[in-house]
Amino acid sequence: MNLKKHTPTLVAAAVATVLLAGFGVTSISIAGMEKGGPAPLAPLGLPPIPPDNLQTPAKIELGKLLFFDPRVGGDASTGCSTCHEPDQGWAWAEDFSRGYPGTVHWRNSQTIINSAYFPRQFWAGSASSNEKQAKSAAKGGVAGNGEDDLMEARLALIPEYRKRFKEVFGTEWPHIFDVWHAISAFERSMVQRDTPMDKYLQGDKRALSEEAVRGKSLFEGKAGCIQCHNGALTSDTDFHNIGIPPNVRWEEDGLAQITFRFEQYAKGQTEEGYRTAKSDWGFYYRGKNKWDRGKFRTAPIRYVKYTAPYMHNGVFYTLEEVVDFYDRGGFDEDGRTTDFPENKSPLIKPLGLTDEEKSDLIAFLEAYSGEEILMEKPELPEYAPLFTKAQLEAAQEAK
Amino acid sequence: MGVLVTTGRTILAATIGLGMALGVQASGYPDIGPLPQLKTNAAKAELGKRLFFDRRISGDAGISCADCHMPDNGYAHPDALSPGYPGNGHFRNSASLINTAHKNVWNWDGRIGTNLNDMTREMLTEDYIMNMDMRIMQERAKQDPVYVQMFKDAGYGEPSNGSVRKAIPEYLKTLTSRNAPFDTGKMSDSAKRGMALFKGKGGCMQCHNGSLVTDLKAHNTGVPENFDVFLDPMNHQAFVAFTMFQGIPDYMNLKRDPGYYNVTLEEQDMGKFVTPSLRELKYTAPYMHNGMIASLPEVVEFYNNGGGKDSRKSDMVKPLNLSGQEKKDLVAFLEALSGDPLTGSGFVWSEEYPAEYPVIENWRQVRN
Ligand code: HEC
Ligand code: HEC
Ligand code: HEC
Ligand code: HEC
Repeated sequence: MNLKKHTPTLVAAAVATVLLAGFGVTSISIAGMEKGGPAPLAPLGLPPIPPDNLQTPAKIELGKLLFFDPRVGGDASTGCSTCHEPDQGWAWAEDFSRGYPGTVHWRNSQTIINSAYFPRQFWAGSASSNEKQAKSAAKGGVAGNGEDDLMEARLALIPEYRKRFKEVFGTEWPHIFDVWHAISAFERSMVQRDTPMDKYLQGDKRALSEEAVRGKSLFEGKAGCIQCHNGALTSDTDFHNIGIPPNVRWEEDGLAQITFRFEQYAKGQTEEGYRTAKSDWGFYYRGKNKWDRGKFRTAPIRYVKYTAPYMHNGVFYTLEEVVDFYDRGGFDEDGRTTDFPENKSPLIKPLGLTDEEKSDLIAFLEAYSGEEILMEKPELPEYAPLFTKAQLEAAQEAK
Repeated sequence: MGVLVTTGRTILAATIGLGMALGVQASGYPDIGPLPQLKTNAAKAELGKRLFFDRRISGDAGISCADCHMPDNGYAHPDALSPGYPGNGHFRNSASLINTAHKNVWNWDGRIGTNLNDMTREMLTEDYIMNMDMRIMQERAKQDPVYVQMFKDAGYGEPSNGSVRKAIPEYLKTLTSRNAPFDTGKMSDSAKRGMALFKGKGGCMQCHNGSLVTDLKAHNTGVPENFDVFLDPMNHQAFVAFTMFQGIPDYMNLKRDPGYYNVTLEEQDMGKFVTPSLRELKYTAPYMHNGMIASLPEVVEFYNNGGGKDSRKSDMVKPLNLSGQEKKDLVAFLEALSGDPLTGSGFVWSEEYPAEYPVIENWRQVRN
């Protein structure tokens, strides 16, 4: 695999231009259902940039360092990139993400590629921006498990960070709040807009294979995928119960059982819910409505070539398994489905796909992934003492 | 960005001020007497013991209470500055836990004046100490059948973070001095002479009095700063995080441990520390809040010189003009305040902890 050097600064410059040109351009990319049918598939525009966190090359570069720096976390072992590994699709290639040391996560690690487009982040939409997402990722007990004061203290003792924060944010000392800003700016540069499908939609008819073109028709027609996977993002950004069965690992792994119960607790389950839950209730945890049990955000089809395993709990390791699951109408090969069949979307039903249709569909899904985005881990700046011995001696004298 | 906890500061300051007002002897200071053993519930203390030595009650399962409070070192740590949670260092000497259950104010700066339950929570949850999300701790305990049984036997029912914070203090109550020559009446002649100096010429009783040999009040004795707090960024980051969280003004430029100032935010309290107990010193070197004094003879030398340099130093600390023999006698007395080591199986958990959490069988059928 050739290491493609990603150049975030270029994207940043492009974004800045668009900002000057006008904000409206960006909004089409996240349009949901339109009147009269799902939003048509479209090439991906630029991600929306919040006016209080504009992109600059220096900010993106700082965000990149912070994203790769495990000192942004509890015991300085687990940073963002620890669970969002560039060569694992900027995610983690196991069903459940690895956790903070001593724990395992309870959900699949999502890729950060294109996360910038999502108005609600995480599988169940619990964060409303990249900024808020980064904060809760760095602090969550089974994720970064960091605390603001210690993370901020660490950055203050790294001269290179002091310099960069001052340059980018104008502060004398790094502020934790700005850490989330910088990381978000970096994430907003991590988008992929040149997939074969984007090229195809822009008029390059040779960008898709014949198979993929047939797959596209299935996606938009017989297979009905477009009802949820639509628009430029290939996601309506809404929440659905498609019948994903609970991960059997919860029945077999003591560490996973610990996290499972912790999450019920942490997400504000009722006592009875805590005692009886045996699967991830998903979007339910947001509004505590029983009709939301087992709903998750429509995952984008983009970049999936690199992000196996799939679904919120990583139950499927290949796209073949995913397509078979949909073909059976939302059941896995053992006939298992969601714990909440009453909430299952009526849009999910047996499809009667032939083997050829299945492989066409998969060819199409893969056309939504461009080249693998790889990035060398940056060299991280080092700590240095803030005071000299002479300064300390003078302070001692002055006591 | 620290959360400024102003409420409680004044209350805490008042509590410390009360100190030990009872049992004042003729000289004006409560006499040094024996320490009673505390009544404990055996099942609860046994549970507390297992928890105390268990690394799984820290965030990354990497550090236990006993890693900083080591039995062989009088439940303190032999390094001048305590270790910290993995990923950072610390800025103070680890405090001995022997007799800590007899106190009513905790930490070198006296910032906790309620009870050992709060003290235990502080140790568990502070990011630079154990960084434990107690909800995870609780679920870990529920996943270990040994704990499930022990919590039940202790009368706590199901494991919970609340009962962890009760069981550990119950264990700490078992860590009371035993058989110190001072208590058994078997002091050497040198130690007896040292005691007279301690109460008289040495002036030590002014602050080190009562059965714990401390007035539990804060004083400035001018102990020099330990520069390693600031020169080693691992320690300094813990110091910055601490002072930031406590709301100490200008914490980034601070070049000294504020001590009791942290409790009152009054300038005059800068550099004061709560008088430590002088029991079990034999095991707990090095000494002082920052481990700056390596041995007892050096501590005595420090006091003989009238303490350290600080414009706010207590008037009660002044040059003593002790002779060589007097210094030795004073040290002999300090040593006579140390009893048997609390290192036997009654105090130390020695069974292995399971390497993995066993799975709960029939998971889908049983209640969580
Ligand atoms: C211990 C592993 C772990 C660490 C550390 C971690 N993440 Fe994640 N990340 C995950 C998992 C698992 C999810 C999905 C969690 C969920 O939905 O509840 C996720 C989700 C995300 C998402 C959501 C993407 C989307 O499409 O909604 C973003 C963005 C993200 N992480 C960025 C970060 C950043 C930034 C950091 C560092 C501050 C970080 N992560 C640290 C595991 C981790
Ligand atoms: C009712 C809406 C809906 C329809 C119709 C639908 N999907 Fe999905 N899709 C989702 C949701 C919601 C998820 C995430 C579910 C989860 O994690 O529990 C998802 C996840 C996926 C994923 C996994 C992506 C990842 O990163 O893990 C793939 C691949 C996928 N769908 C492909 C398809 C295909 C192919 C079709 C048509 C055969 C289809 N979907 C039809 C809503 C839908
Ligand atoms: C990383 C090292 C470390 C760990 C782990 C640790 N402590 Fe401490 N402990 C210290 C230090 C250092 C102090 C003094 C703190 C100060 O003065 O700010 C202290 C102070 C105390 C005190 C106050 C003593 C007194 O008499 O003032 C108690 C009680 C205590 N610890 C109990 C515990 C318990 C119980 C645990 C486990 C739940 C624990 N500690 C874990 C380092 C540690
Ligand atoms: C003004 C009150 C005061 C007087 C008088 C005083 N001390 Fe102290 N002593 C303290 C305080 C306060 C500390 C802790 C200082 C620090 O850590 O910075 C301390 C610490 C010590 C320690 C270290 C204990 C440990 O666990 O680290 C020893 C030993 C000691 N004193 C012995 C003596 C002796 C012997 C005398 C008499 C010669 C004496 N002190 C007089 C207040 C006093």
